[in-house]
Amino acid sequence: MATVPISKSEKSYIQSSLLLAAPLRADGRALHDYRTVSLETGVAPLSNGSAKVNIGKSPEEGGGGTEILAATKLEVESIESGAGVEGGRIACTVTCSPAAYPHLSPNALDDLQYDYTTVLHQTLSHQSLHPSNLGILPKKKAWLLNLDLVILSDSGNTYDALFMAARAALWDTKVPVTKPVQYAARNSSSTSRLPSDAMDVSQDEAQQSGFDTRRIPSATDFELPDYWDEGEVLAGRDKWPVCITLNIHPPTYFLDATSMEEAAVSLRLLLSFSFPSKGHATMQSMRLLGPGELQLAQIQQFISVCISRYPSAFLVLSHHCFQEGEKYAQRLHSALESKLRDEEVRRNQRLRFALR
Amino acid sequence: MAVVQTNGRRQFAIVAVFRGDNEEVAFFSETITKKISVGRQKKHRRLQYGQWKPRHNCLTILTRPQGSRIEILNEGGYRSDGRKQYELRDIVIDLSSRGSADGSASVKHGLTEVVVEVFGPREAKVRSQTMHDKALINVEVSILPFSTGERRKRSRGDKRILELASTIKSTFEPVVQTSLYPRSEIDVFVHVLQQDGGLLHSSINATTLALISAGIPLADFVCAMTGGVHSSSPMLDLTTLEENDIPHITVAVLPRTKKVTLVTMETRLHVDRFGEIFQLACDAGQVLHTEMRKAIEGRTKKLVNSMGLGPRLTFPGVEFDDRDVRMEE
Repeated sequence: MATVPISKSEKSYIQSSLLLAAPLRADGRALHDYRTVSLETGVAPLSNGSAKVNIGKSPEEGGGGTEILAATKLEVESIESGAGVEGGRIACTVTCSPAAYPHLSPNALDDLQYDYTTVLHQTLSHQSLHPSNLGILPKKKAWLLNLDLVILSDSGNTYDALFMAARAALWDTKVPVTKPVQYAARNSSSTSRLPSDAMDVSQDEAQQSGFDTRRIPSATDFELPDYWDEGEVLAGRDKWPVCITLNIHPPTYFLDATSMEEAAVSLRLLLSFSFPSKGHATMQSMRLLGPGELQLAQIQQFISVCISRYPSAFLVLSHHCFQEGEKYAQRLHSALESKLRDEEVRRNQRLRFALR
Repeated sequence: MAVVQTNGRRQFAIVAVFRGDNEEVAFFSETITKKISVGRQKKHRRLQYGQWKPRHNCLTILTRPQGSRIEILNEGGYRSDGRKQYELRDIVIDLSSRGSADGSASVKHGLTEVVVEVFGPREAKVRSQTMHDKALINVEVSILPFSTGERRKRSRGDKRILELASTIKSTFEPVVQTSLYPRSEIDVFVHVLQQDGGLLHSSINATTLALISAGIPLADFVCAMTGGVHSSSPMLDLTTLEENDIPHITVAVLPRTKKVTLVTMETRLHVDRFGEIFQLACDAGQVLHTEMRKAIEGRTKKLVNSMGLGPRLTFPGVEFDDRDVRMEE
């Protein structure tokens, strides 16, 4: 999974300084510190919702850091004849810019973006997170929510950044309000009352108009009524998960690894948690990533230990990891939440200012 | 054939007249005296997507955005976005560094936004492609799926993308001093974040700026601009709406020598009109040149100033001066 090549001595230098009594990291952070995270929503005006996330941007130059651009786009799908499913669906795609990985060949880049896409798609399109307002007409039309994420530059901790950007873009998404319509044939009584001059139409004739837009179960099509905003927010948007990557270098672990540190540790545990505003936090996905045979053996040991309920150092570590992971995810979540609310206020103010 | 459809509350009517494949729609008020708007559109489109509703005492037509119901140039000489014929959209140039790129530039031209990152000259990833006497310029374009009104994911092998990349490459091949870097490669990655017309010219301008900020020697700036003609009136810097409707050309000029490195056209244009637009686009290139120069100068000044800010280390017996490299006389 390493995206940068590092030498053996660099690797052992990073590893040994992590294991010191007072652990050291190249940028002076503590083990469980994050780099500066910056976030902006509404960056792509042609999308239904968008966000840009940067982790670790250097404050002087405005460059550097992991940068992710995420945008959602809604498409109407036909359920009868197309790929649509009842209640709508979500499709996530991650694209890696070749500039973010200048040393990777195009094929390696494809593999990498496939890996990212799989994790994101499997987590975010899960039934437990599905928004309830993606349907348009039952059994006929539904929205397809395309979530596109682009990795513009990578300096480590991509998964956390991807999940953050995805959450922000989905939070920002507005679903256009739709109204079912049915084209009804004009009945004979109204035709008889129709004046000879078609231009002269009376008020009560309006009730019999061919464009009757009342909610009728047999509606065949829909229209987009005038609405004060671009649409309504996705239902259950507080449920979108955040991800915490624990970079495990037994017996310790650290958060928010840079690309060098990522290359130096062999095991990563991705934990994504959802914090609905009502109810308990739920774990939405877990991945253990890392190369090497030794790690596989440890995972097996871990699994068998779990089953036989024997306490062991590894179990303690993993149990600790889960708890800690949830704690960090909770912190990340609340920080992100407050930022997203700020962004919403900022953009609405701008809008009001523009309207004035 | 005329179809009369009435609306309930206000007394308006749409009279639609079908003529061949096209349909003319005229709107009449109660008195049927004033023709509000006349537009031409494909018949099936109109019937499928057109909806209408009364609003503020006049009719509003809800159609798909690609419909050609816009007026390209109105009687007052204004275009659909309020510009005059030869007016360019505003350009925002950002030359701050991005990621690990050697040089990068982001150009916002109106609503079109392009980011270009340049790597190199460096050792080629594919050694077999290198040339013994000059550097290889490798251009890769990626168009983000949400950059257009309708989502479309284009893969790397998409013909349209390959064409755009090869156009940019051939534009820069005579300008970049490739012979200075034999057996190496210069990578240019173009990201299209948003498109609203003038994709090619924005990409070329951004590539020029990125190459300059990467410190790659160029013979001159390359400034590109799009020009089009609506009936007999030429106009510059077209938006998507205008590009869809009127014939247009893209010209890339070297402003100092007044040479041209690219002229491209995908539509048909009358020979008599060509010279005029071509000249206009060349002139617009000169205007762009001053903008781009200003951006480069500003950036360089900032860098030079910040170089002076750093603390100077002095050691006994070692002389330091401002130059990083001492050239042998």
